[in-house]
Amino acid sequence: MGIIPKIAWRNIQRHRGKSLVIGIILFLGALIMTIGNGVISGMEKGLRENIMNRFTGQIVIVSSNQVEDNVIFTPMGKDVEVITGYDKIKKVLEGRDYIDRFMPAAKGLTLILNENGDLGYSLVLGVRFEDYQKMFLHNVQLVEGAYLKNDDRGILISSGNRTRIFDEQGFWLVPRGRGVNEKNLPPEELKRRDSLDVRESLVLMGGSMENTSRDLKVDVKGIVRYEYLDEFWKNFSIMDIESFREAFQYVTASDSLVKISSEKQKILESDNLDNLFGDTLVEKAVTTGKRYDITGLIGKKVVQKRLDVDSGAYSLVFVKLKDAGRIGKSLEDLNAKLKAAGAEARAVSWKAAVGQLADMAMIMRGVATGFVLLIFFVAIIIIMNTLSMAALERVSEIGMMRAVGAQKSFIAKMFFAETAMISFIFGGAGILAGIGAVHLLDLLNITTDNHVLVLLFGGNVFRPGLDFIDILIGIVELVTVTAIATVYPLKVARGITPLDAIMRD
Amino acid sequence: MDIIEMKNIKKDYPLGETIVHALRGVDLSVEEGGFISIIGPSGSGKTTLLNIIGCIDTATEGSVKIADEDITALDDKKLTNIRLFKVGFIFQTFNLIPVLNLLENVEFPLLLMKDKSWSRTDIRARAEKCIDDVGLKDFMEHRPAELSGGQRQRVAIARALVTKPQIVLADEPTANLDSETGANILKLMKHLNETENVTFVFSTHDPDVLQYASQVIKIKDGAIVEKAGSERQSRSRQAKGKSAGRGVKGGSRPKGRI
Ligand SMILES: Nc1ncnc2c1ncn2[C@@H]1O[C@H](COP(=O)(O)OP(=O)(O)OP(=O)(O)O)[C@@H](O)[C@H]1O
Ligand SMILES: [Mg+2]
Repeated sequence: MGIIPKIAWRNIQRHRGKSLVIGIILFLGALIMTIGNGVISGMEKGLRENIMNRFTGQIVIVSSNQVEDNVIFTPMGKDVEVITGYDKIKKVLEGRDYIDRFMPAAKGLTLILNENGDLGYSLVLGVRFEDYQKMFLHNVQLVEGAYLKNDDRGILISSGNRTRIFDEQGFWLVPRGRGVNEKNLPPEELKRRDSLDVRESLVLMGGSMENTSRDLKVDVKGIVRYEYLDEFWKNFSIMDIESFREAFQYVTASDSLVKISSEKQKILESDNLDNLFGDTLVEKAVTTGKRYDITGLIGKKVVQKRLDVDSGAYSLVFVKLKDAGRIGKSLEDLNAKLKAAGAEARAVSWKAAVGQLADMAMIMRGVATGFVLLIFFVAIIIIMNTLSMAALERVSEIGMMRAVGAQKSFIAKMFFAETAMISFIFGGAGILAGIGAVHLLDLLNITTDNHVLVLLFGGNVFRPGLDFIDILIGIVELVTVTAIATVYPLKVARGITPLDAIMRD
Repeated sequence: MDIIEMKNIKKDYPLGETIVHALRGVDLSVEEGGFISIIGPSGSGKTTLLNIIGCIDTATEGSVKIADEDITALDDKKLTNIRLFKVGFIFQTFNLIPVLNLLENVEFPLLLMKDKSWSRTDIRARAEKCIDDVGLKDFMEHRPAELSGGQRQRVAIARALVTKPQIVLADEPTANLDSETGANILKLMKHLNETENVTFVFSTHDPDVLQYASQVIKIKDGAIVEKAGSERQSRSRQAKGKSAGRGVKGGSRPKGRI
């Protein structure tokens, strides 16, 4: 053993108290850091996998008219632009060997009408349901009633929506012909069971502030919930695509689709405007028809006809890649290919598409990172203080070494070796203990329905996990903390002169 | 040859508003192989002088040559190397590294040298010889805390000599020892001065030392007031066939006299 490690190691033993203080701080710091990294890593992985696999895929294709990327949780009242010419997109997607599967869908905010004038709303997704389930790992689970078949008409109400609609509009939705399942009724409502307003269908009116559409009566097929991340998706009900198109007035005319503005709506189908619909909303309606040739439309007399679904209109296409790690490259290629094919669409990443949710995940990560940083900060202060004191306590010893011929660098190395050894032993133990703790937490299978915790967990089950890279980052963080904490004490130690030692005498 | 050459050395210490003139223009030449004692009342500047010779402190004014090398304007790194290669230092107390045993303590300066000419076995052999020379062969594995004060000073002497320096400096090496132990330490230093042919410069309050010193430098208020060579010493050395006239030449400017 060289002289520096020898002295360092023996000094650690000699100044056991201080070594232990620094060691315990480093141990705890490394432990908390590792667990924190495990939680964050697990959260991100959970969110990523759950959202990608069960809700959006890795890539979402939107209309090139769509301004914002965050199409899933758009702020209220903002509709996603309609995709025209899905068959072009489809051809592009089919030709890409890196794409595993894809499915088109339509998304919108629908109003729920009620005879008494109360307006409710729900986010709805228009899809071919069996395809949807296959694509998204059967994430939709039945609570009551039945699933939709691909060509069925009807709506699957999320139990979250059912509860909200009940609270806001006062009626309890049940699947047609199934009656009330009392188990799912809020307990206090059970007592008022006889006066309960039970309904088996809804009157929907697709649309937002931008355009009003036709009211449409839809049967409730089932009550559902999402197996994963229900907390975040519970506002989405699922409807067959044909009904969606009718409710939202997605109309196709040859290749191009036209989403009719409220004004055109008035002109073309004025008798269809719902009487129940208050004036206020109509007033708020904004014309978006600039893109369309109104006179041309009027002349054509557009009629809704049953078409092959693929030639119909959508607003989103969910795309799953074979390799989820290649989102960036695939996006690039896909956008180029879409452009080349003349498709009026662009591809965005799932992260961009879920906007807010990814932001929230970022915030959680920020909070967790901030917490870890705070711990580090405290650790650095304590270690710095303890080491500086140690340096000052050894002025005679260090000054004498300098007098005998030790260079400043020797003193620095000796001091650093000491801290590095403590850091290696205790910090290393902390990281190992952290890895163990993360593993244990994973095994505990902690589940939650809490809104915040679901986000922190990245799903309903707490699945913290550490990749090799996380551990590597942990080691780097530990080394950094040790290095930062030693800078000042090293400066102090290096500054000790032989004279200081003599003056001590 | 003069191993130490000091010219007009002044050392000022700022002390609040005032300035303490610790050395007021000291001229000093020390010949190789001498056993030079610096005496003087407390606060006269003995420690200051030794520190400047030992490259532990630098003079405010004047020039210093150690073994023909001008150290007046050297940086910290070079000064440290002079301390390592040319000078051995014995302090009054706190000479040893607490966590190293006696043998490791004595080896320490040689390990710092990182000198290829010193192999690991050479270092071990040299350290053991020096420890043997100071009579502590049986204590090699002991740590400083397990030794008496006198024993510790012996270790310090062994360590000061281990690098075969040209000068060994000692600032009151016997101050913390009882008189008998102190006398033994001085005898040992004298013995090594002769056998290893190393120049010793040390300060002391001990009047007994006069009988060992080849030269005695008396210092007062930061200036040399008297330099006395010991005739007996000079003669005895001549008798041994060693070079005559070892000792001190020089004086101090303000009050200097021969
Ligand atoms: N760091 C310092 N700051 C201010 N004054 C100092 C400093 N070191 C020494 N002095 C002053 O310089 C003068 C010489 O001090 P020095 O220590 O050399 O005396 P000394 O002869 O070794 O005394 P002693 O026999 O007590 O050890 C004294 O007046 C002392 O107070
Ligand atoms: Mg002194």
